Amino acid sequence: MVGWSGRRKALTILAFILPTILGILAFNVYPMILNSYISFTNKNKFHPNPDCENPLNDILVPTCWNVFEESAPVGLGEPFTFVEPILANYQRLIGDLFTRDALLALLTIIVCLVPLFIAARVDKRFDQQMERKVPSVVVWLLGIMAGAILAALLNIMASFEILMATGDFFVVVFRTILFVVLRVPFSFLLGLILAIILSNEHMKGRSFFRVVLFLPWAASTVAILMALVWQFFFREQGTINQILSVIGYDGKVWLQDPISAFGIVVLVDVWFSYPFFMMAIGGALTAIPNELYEAADVDGAGWWPQLKNITLPMIRPAILPAIVLTSITAFQMFGTVWALTQGGPIKGAGQPGSTEFVMVYAYKQIFQTQNHGLATAFAVIVFFMLFGATLYSLRMTRITKGAFE
Amino acid sequence: MIQKPSVPARILYYVILVVVAIIAFYPLWFAILASGREGSRLYALNLPGMFFPTEWTWENYRVMLFDKPFLRWLLNSLKVASITTIASLLICTSAAFAFSRFRFWGREFGLIFMLGIQAFPGLLSLVAIAQLLTAMGLYGSHVGLIMAYTTGTLVFSTWNLKGYFDTIPIDLEEAGMIDGASPVQSFLLIALPLAKPALAVTALLGFMAGWGDFVFASVLVPAPDEMKLAVPALYGLANQAAVPWGYFAAGAVIVVIPTLIVFLYLQQYLESGLTLGGVKG
Repeated sequence: MVGWSGRRKALTILAFILPTILGILAFNVYPMILNSYISFTNKNKFHPNPDCENPLNDILVPTCWNVFEESAPVGLGEPFTFVEPILANYQRLIGDLFTRDALLALLTIIVCLVPLFIAARVDKRFDQQMERKVPSVVVWLLGIMAGAILAALLNIMASFEILMATGDFFVVVFRTILFVVLRVPFSFLLGLILAIILSNEHMKGRSFFRVVLFLPWAASTVAILMALVWQFFFREQGTINQILSVIGYDGKVWLQDPISAFGIVVLVDVWFSYPFFMMAIGGALTAIPNELYEAADVDGAGWWPQLKNITLPMIRPAILPAIVLTSITAFQMFGTVWALTQGGPIKGAGQPGSTEFVMVYAYKQIFQTQNHGLATAFAVIVFFMLFGATLYSLRMTRITKGAFE
Repeated sequence: MIQKPSVPARILYYVILVVVAIIAFYPLWFAILASGREGSRLYALNLPGMFFPTEWTWENYRVMLFDKPFLRWLLNSLKVASITTIASLLICTSAAFAFSRFRFWGREFGLIFMLGIQAFPGLLSLVAIAQLLTAMGLYGSHVGLIMAYTTGTLVFSTWNLKGYFDTIPIDLEEAGMIDGASPVQSFLLIALPLAKPALAVTALLGFMAGWGDFVFASVLVPAPDEMKLAVPALYGLANQAAVPWGYFAAGAVIVVIPTLIVFLYLQQYLESGLTLGGVKG
C-alpha cells in the first residue's frame, strides 16, 4: 500500500477491526474462560450459585459483578466450590480410559487398523509406477482381510466392550464419530454422482433438477422443523409403514429401535447436506478443461479411469476443505437429531441413548440434569478434540494460506 | 464429460435424478399436504392421501394467522434476523477488509486464533452467554439474542469476506490511493461494490442463522409467548401433549416457503460468493 504515517495507520486498522475483536472477546473467549473455570467446580442444581466472597468468583462470574448485582437472580442452595481433587470432573469422564486395560484395548483396535494404513501406502506406491501390476482392489482386499484376521485373532469385540464400559464419554464420542464417518462419505458420494450427471450438457432439464435437488439445503436452515416433518414418515402410521403394508410387510416403530433410529438420523442428515456437496463439486467440475477428457477418450480410457485420474484429482483442492469443514460441523450436529429422537432410544436409565451425540449429551447435561461442572469439563475435552482436528485440517488443506500471503 | 452418454447410461442418469428429486421434494410436499388436512390429524389413513391432496382446507392457516400469535412470532424472527444481519455485516466487512489488505502486528495470529475459537461449540458457551446477558439485564430480550447471534456469526463472516477480498485485485485501490483516496474511502468506494456477491452470501447466511436457529432462541428468550421467535415457538407447539399437527404444518409451511424462495433466488450468488474461508477452487 502507498505509504501513510505509522500512527494514523495503526489507528485506522484498529478502528477497522476493534468491533470484531471486542465481540469475539466478550462472547467467544470469555465463555470459554468461564467454562474452563466451572469445569473445576461442583456447580450443579444443588450448588447453583457462586460465593461472591471468593475473589475468583468476583472476577469471573457475571452474577457477582457489582454493576449488575441488582439484576442478578437470587438463588437458593449452597454455593459451588472447587471439587476435590481438582480434576474430579475430568476423571469421571475420561479417567477410566487411562487404566491399563482400557489403554490395551485401545492399542488392540489401533493394531487392527494398521493393515488398512499399509494398504493405503502400498496402493499409493503402485500408483506412482508407470505400469500398474497389481490392481487397487486386490491391495485393498488384502489389507481389509489382514485387518479382519487380526481383529478376529485379537478379539476386537472384547476390547470394544472394555472401552464402552469406561463411561459415557467414550460411548458418546464413539457414536458421534461413527455418525460422521457414515454421513460425510454418503453425502459426498450422492453429491458427486448428482454433480457429474448435472454437468453433462446432453442431459435435458438440468436447470429444473438443479433447483429441485437444491431444496433440502435451503430447507436445512430451518432444520429442526424439517426434521420434525421427517420423523412422521417413520411413525407407526407413517408413510414408510403404509407403503410397507401395501406389499404385505408389518412395519415397526422405526425410531424406537436403536439401530434403525441411528440409520434414520444418518439418512435425514444426508438429505440435508448432499446439495452442498453437489453445488461445491459442480462448481469445481466446470473448472476442469474439456481437453483432458478428450485426450482420455482418444487413449480409450473408460469412465472409471477418467473419474479416478482426472475428475477426482482435479476437484480435490476445492473439495477437501469442504469435506473437512462438514466433518467438523457434522460432529457438532444438534438440531436434526434433537427433533428426530431427542438422543433416544434409551436402553437403561442413566445411559446415553443410541443417537445421543456429543452436542445432545452436552445439552442434556446442561439443561436437563443441570450437571454444569461435568458438562463444562465435557465441553473442554470436546474443544481440545475439535481444536486438534481443526489444526490438523488446516495443515492438510492449507486453508490458512491466505493468512500468510 | 463432453461425449453424449449412451442410451442405457442416460436412462440410468434420469432414474437417479428422478428418484433423488422425489425424495428431495417429498418432505416439503408432505408438510403442504398436512397443512391442508381437516381436523388436527397429521396422517391420511389411506396411502393416496399421503401423496396427493385428497382434501383441502384453509382452516389451519386461518387459525395460525388470526387466532394464534403466529404473526407476532414471524415478525419477531424477522426483526431479530434482520438486525443480526445488518450488525454482522457492519462489524465484519471492515475487519475482513483490514485483514485482507493491511499488514499489521498480530494479523496471522488473529486469523488463526479466530478459527481455533470456532472449535468451541456455540451450544456449550450458551450457559456463559446466558449468565453474561443476565448480568447485563438483557436476558429474555431480543437485544440480548441479537448480540448472541451477531457475535456467533463474526468468525465465519470475517473469514468468508476476507477470502473474497483476497480475490479482488489490489490494483484498483492502489490507483485510487495514488489519486489521493484515504484507506477508508478506498474501502467504501472501491472494494465494497466489488464484493457484492460475498456480501450477499454473508448476509444470507447471517440472516438464516437467526431465522432458523432453535437452541439459542429457546434458551435466551424462553418466555413470554409474544416474545418468542417462530422456530422455537413452532417446536413448542409440536411438543404439547395433544399436538395440533395441522397448525404446526401450516406454520412450518409459512416459515419454510419464503426461506426456499430466497435461497433459490440467491443460488447463483451462493456459488460465487462462498469462499470456504478463502480457498476457492
